[in-house]
Amino acid sequence: MAEAVLPRPLLGRLLRAREGGFPYIAATVLALVLVCALLGPWISPHDAGRIALSEAMTPPAWLEGGSMSHVLGTDNLGRDILSRIIAGARVSANVALYAIVLSGFIGAVLGMAAGYFGGVVDALISRLIDVQMSVPSIPLAMLFAAVLPPGEAMVIFIIVLSYWTWYARLVRGEVLSLRERDFVKLAKVAGVGTPTVFYRHLAPNVLNMLLVLATLQFGSVIVFEAGLSFLGLGIQPPNVSWGGMLADGRNFIEVAWWLITMPGLAIMAACLASNLLGDWLRDTLDPVRRQL
Amino acid sequence: MSGYIARRLLQGVVAIVGALLIVFVAQRLSGDPVALMLPMDATEEDFAAMRQALGLDRPLPAQFVVFIANAVQGDFGDSYQWQAPAMALLLERLPATLELALAGLVFALLLAVPLGVISAVHRGGVVDRVAKIFAMLGQAVPGFWIGLLLILFIAVELQWLPAFGRGGLANLVLPAIALGWYPVAAMTRTLRSSMLDILDSDYVRMERAIGLPERWIVWRFALRNAFVPLVTMIGVYFANMLGGAFVIEVVFAWPGVGRAVVDAVFARDFPVVQAGVVLAAVVFVVVNLIVDLSYGFIDPRIRHG
Amino acid sequence: MKPRRVGPLVAAAVLLALAAQGAERTDEIVVAFGAEPQQVDPTRSSAGVDGYYMDLFYENLLAVTPDFERVNWLAESWEVVDDADGLRIAVKIREGVTFHNGDELTAHDYAYAFERQSDPTSRTAGRLRHVDGVRVHDDYRFDMVLGSPDGSLEPLNLILATIPRKYYEEVGDDGVQVHPIGTGPWKFVSRKVREELVVERFEDYWNRDAMPVAKRLRIKIIPEDTTRVAAFKTGAVDWIDAVPPAQVEEFEATPGVRVASLPAPNNLYVALNAIDAGSPFRFPKVRQAAAHAVNVDDIVQYVLYGQGIRTAQLAPGTLGYDPALKPYPYDPARARELLAEAGYPAGVNVNCYNLTTPREPYFKEVGETIFAYLTEAGIRCRIVQLEYGAWINLGRRDVRPHMDGIMSTMWGQGLPGDPTDAWSGHVHTTGDGWGSYSYESTPQLDAMIETLRTTMDLETRTRLIEEIARLKHELVAGGLPTYRPMITLAWREGVDFDPWPAAFWRSMRGLRGAEP
Repeated sequence: MAEAVLPRPLLGRLLRAREGGFPYIAATVLALVLVCALLGPWISPHDAGRIALSEAMTPPAWLEGGSMSHVLGTDNLGRDILSRIIAGARVSANVALYAIVLSGFIGAVLGMAAGYFGGVVDALISRLIDVQMSVPSIPLAMLFAAVLPPGEAMVIFIIVLSYWTWYARLVRGEVLSLRERDFVKLAKVAGVGTPTVFYRHLAPNVLNMLLVLATLQFGSVIVFEAGLSFLGLGIQPPNVSWGGMLADGRNFIEVAWWLITMPGLAIMAACLASNLLGDWLRDTLDPVRRQL
Repeated sequence: MSGYIARRLLQGVVAIVGALLIVFVAQRLSGDPVALMLPMDATEEDFAAMRQALGLDRPLPAQFVVFIANAVQGDFGDSYQWQAPAMALLLERLPATLELALAGLVFALLLAVPLGVISAVHRGGVVDRVAKIFAMLGQAVPGFWIGLLLILFIAVELQWLPAFGRGGLANLVLPAIALGWYPVAAMTRTLRSSMLDILDSDYVRMERAIGLPERWIVWRFALRNAFVPLVTMIGVYFANMLGGAFVIEVVFAWPGVGRAVVDAVFARDFPVVQAGVVLAAVVFVVVNLIVDLSYGFIDPRIRHG
Repeated sequence: MKPRRVGPLVAAAVLLALAAQGAERTDEIVVAFGAEPQQVDPTRSSAGVDGYYMDLFYENLLAVTPDFERVNWLAESWEVVDDADGLRIAVKIREGVTFHNGDELTAHDYAYAFERQSDPTSRTAGRLRHVDGVRVHDDYRFDMVLGSPDGSLEPLNLILATIPRKYYEEVGDDGVQVHPIGTGPWKFVSRKVREELVVERFEDYWNRDAMPVAKRLRIKIIPEDTTRVAAFKTGAVDWIDAVPPAQVEEFEATPGVRVASLPAPNNLYVALNAIDAGSPFRFPKVRQAAAHAVNVDDIVQYVLYGQGIRTAQLAPGTLGYDPALKPYPYDPARARELLAEAGYPAGVNVNCYNLTTPREPYFKEVGETIFAYLTEAGIRCRIVQLEYGAWINLGRRDVRPHMDGIMSTMWGQGLPGDPTDAWSGHVHTTGDGWGSYSYESTPQLDAMIETLRTTMDLETRTRLIEEIARLKHELVAGGLPTYRPMITLAWREGVDFDPWPAAFWRSMRGLRGAEP
C-alpha cells in the first residue's frame, strides 16, 4: 500500500536501475553530455563567451522578461546560459574522461602488479595507497594548485592523483582471488609469460569491475572538478566550467537565481545519471552485487 | 592487542611521512622552493638564509631529512601574509574546522541512522524508497551548491538561521547540513545492508522466538551491531568532511583551516598551504587510528587479525 | 493545559532576548568589511586596503572632512618656510594629545616616524625622498626639512605617521603587529586574522567633537558578497561595506535601512605595455585603438548597475580635474582603422591579465568585458587570471613586475585626490622614487611629473596637472582610464553614521553610535 503513494511513471523508471531495467533517462542524460562535449560549438545557440551587455540578466524564457533566444536566460554580462552549460559540458566530460581513463589505467596496472606478484611489490604499492589515501583530496588539490599553472591539465593531474587508489585497491583485491583460480595457475604452469597472463587472463576479468567503477566515478569527478573551479583553483576563465559558473553566479544569488541554479542542475543531472548507469552496470555485469 | 596498536601506529607514521614526501615533491615541482617559501619582496640575504634553512646545497635525500626535521618541530615556514608561523596560524583555526566537520558528521548520522534502520525494517516501503531517492540525489549534488541554496532560502529569504561565521549553535546548522549532506547516502546504504544482514540472522530469529519486543531487537540489538561497519567507515567520512570543509568554509565564511588555505593559495602564501595539507593528513591519520583502535570497544567480538 | 502556558513564556523569552539585543546594540556595533588589511603599522603601509584598520587607530597631522575640506588635525598650525635656515615645513602640534597607552604625543614621535618611514625597506620611503629630516625644536614644534620643494606632501596630510616612539622601541615590530597603538578614536582590543577585529572607544580621545558614542565596534571580515549581504539582512551585522552594485537599488528601497553611495578613492584603468620592443602598444595609434574599442559607458550601466563614474583622466573633485577633457568615444570601426594605420590590419594577439580582487565590485567581470571589447575590435586577448595579493607582492619589489600586454588595474589615492603619487608610479618611466609599476616611457611626461612633484603652489600645480592629463590623454600614455567606482555603505536605522573619507570611508570616524 505504501508504494501506491509514489507517482509511478517517472520515479518508477528512475528506480528501474535497481530492478535491473536499463536506465533510459540516465543514459540519455549522459549521452547528451557527451554530445554537448563533442558537438558543442555546432549545437550551441550562441558563442558561450559572447558578451552582450544590453541583454544582461535576462531571465529564463518561461519567466516574464525572458526570451526564446536565451532559453535558460543570460548572466550578468549577457552571456547565454544554455550555451555556457553546453561549453561547460565539454570541459566536464573532457576532464572526467581523461582523469578516469588515466587513473583507471594507473590504478589497474599497480593493482594488478600488487595482487599478482605479492610480497615486496604488494607491500610497497599497498603502502603507497595508504599514503595517498591519508591525504584528503581537496587539500591535496590546493597544494598542487599553489605550485602548478591552473587549468584543465592540472585538474586532471590532481584527480588522477586522488582517484587511482580506488582502482588499485579494487583490482588488487580481485587479482588476489583470481590468482588462485585454476585458469591462471594453469597458464603459469604452461609457461605463459607474465605480460601475457596480465593481458590475456587478468585484464579481461577485472575489466567489468573497472567499467562499473569508472561509470560510477564519472559523476564524482564532475563534482570534484566543479568544486575546484568553484574555488577558482580549477578551470580558469575564459574557459567555461560549471563550477566556475557557480562561482561567478554566487554574487548574484539574490538578483538572478538562475545563474547558480542552472549549472547546479547540470552537475546534478550528469552526476545522477552516471550513478544510475553505474548501478545498472554493476547489477548487470556482476549479479552477485559486490559492494564497490 | 599491543602488537596491533604498534603496527597501526607505525602505519600512521609511514602515512604521515608519505604525506610529507608529497608536499616535499610539490615544493620541488615549482622549480624554486626558495622563491615559494619567501615573500616576493625578500632580499638576497633572505634567499641565502632560506637556501641554508632548506639545505638546498645538499643532495635531495638530505634535503628531505631537513624538511622532515623541520616538520617534526611544526616548522613549515612563516606566512608572509600574516607574518606568523604558518602551522601556528592554522592550529589556531583547527578547532573551528573540527567543530564543523563534527557537526557535519552528527547531521549525517542524525539523518542516516533513522533512514537506514527504517529502510531495512520496512524494506520497499515509503521510507526505503524516499531514502533511495535521497541517496541518489545526495551523492549527485555538490555540498557547496546546497550551501548556496541554503543561504538563499533559509538564511536570506526565511531568515531562520544565520548565514555566515562562527558563533553559537545556530551558526553551525547550515554549514553542517551542506557538509554532512554528501555522506548521508553512503551511510544509509551501509547501515541498511548491515541491518538487513543482522535482522536475517539466527540471533534475531532466536530473539524473536523467545518473544523479545521487536522495537528492542531493532533499535538496540540490531542497530548496535549494524553500527560497527558504519563506525569503521567514519574515519573515511571524517576525512571527506575535513576536505569538504575546505570548500564549505569558503561558502559560509567559516574561520577554519580550509578558508585560510584557500586564501593562501591565492596570495601565493605557500608555507600556509603546505602546513594545511600536512595538518589535514595528520588529523586524518589520527582520526582513523582512534576509530580503528576503538572497534574493540564497540564490538568485543571483533578482534584484530 | 501545558501548551497554554508555553505561549506567553515564549513571547516573554523572545521579548527579553530582543530587549537584551537592543541594549547590546548601543554598547557594541557590529560591522562587516569586505576586505582585510595585512598591515596595522602605518610606517609599513603599502596597499590602499591597509588604511582600513590604520585609520581606526592612527591619525595624521591633517585630515579631510566629509565635505572634502582639508583641515588641521593633530597639527595646530603649519606653514612652508623658506629662509636662511632652508626650505622646510614648520609644524606646531596640539598639546595634550595622548596615545592609547597614556603616553603624550610629542614632536619626538614624528622624528621617529620619519626615521621609520624613510627607511629604504619602507614602502613610503619614496614619498619622503625630498624630506631630508625632521628637526625637533621642542615637545610641540618640529620642522620637516626639505631638500627640494615637494607638492605631494600636503595631499598626503603631511605623510608623517603618528606613532608612539617609546612603545615601538619597547615592543618592536612584531609587538606593534599584535597590538597597534595610536591616538585615534578607536582603541585596539583584539584581532583574529581573517575573522574579526574588536576595537573600543578611546575614552581620552582629544577631539570631543569626533568622539564615537558606541563603546565597542566589532569588525567582521566577510569577503563574499552574498554572505556579507545575508549577514546584514539577518541582523547579524549593523553596518556593511561594499553593498554589491546589483543590490544597491534593493537596499535603497528597504525600509529601515540607510544607504550611502560614495566615490571610492580609486581610479580604474587598463595598463598597456608601451615599453617592450615586442609590444604593439608602443605605438600610440594602437593605444588609441584600444581607447576607441571599449564601451565603458555600457560597462558602467550594465556591469556596475550605474555604480561608477566614467573618467577621461581624473574623476571630478580631484585636484586638476578638467571637465573639458572627454573620454574617447566608443567606435570599434575607428579602432580597426587605427590598428591598420599602425601596421596591424589583421589585428594583434596580446596577453590580457585580469586582476581579481574583492576590493572593487565586479572587478573581474569588468576586466572580462573590457577584454571582450578589445578582442572584438581586433586586439585579441588571451586572458590570464592574476590574483591581487600576488600582484601586490610583485609590486613590492624594486623591479617592475612582468606584464607583457594589457592588465586591468587601478590606482588609489586619497580623497579628494591628487594624482601626483599615482602618476609617478604608473606614468613616469622609473616611478620617480615611488617604486615603479609603469609600462610607459615618455620623456616629456617624465619631466612634467618631476616638475609637478617639486611644485608646492596650489595654483601652479592645478594647471600642471591639467596639462599632464591632456598630454596623457592624447597619447593614451600610462594606460587607459576607465572609471572611478562607487562604494555603497549601508547601515540600519538607529545606527548614527556620517561617512568620512578617511580609509576609503571605512575609518568609522563618523560613527556616532546607536540610539538606545
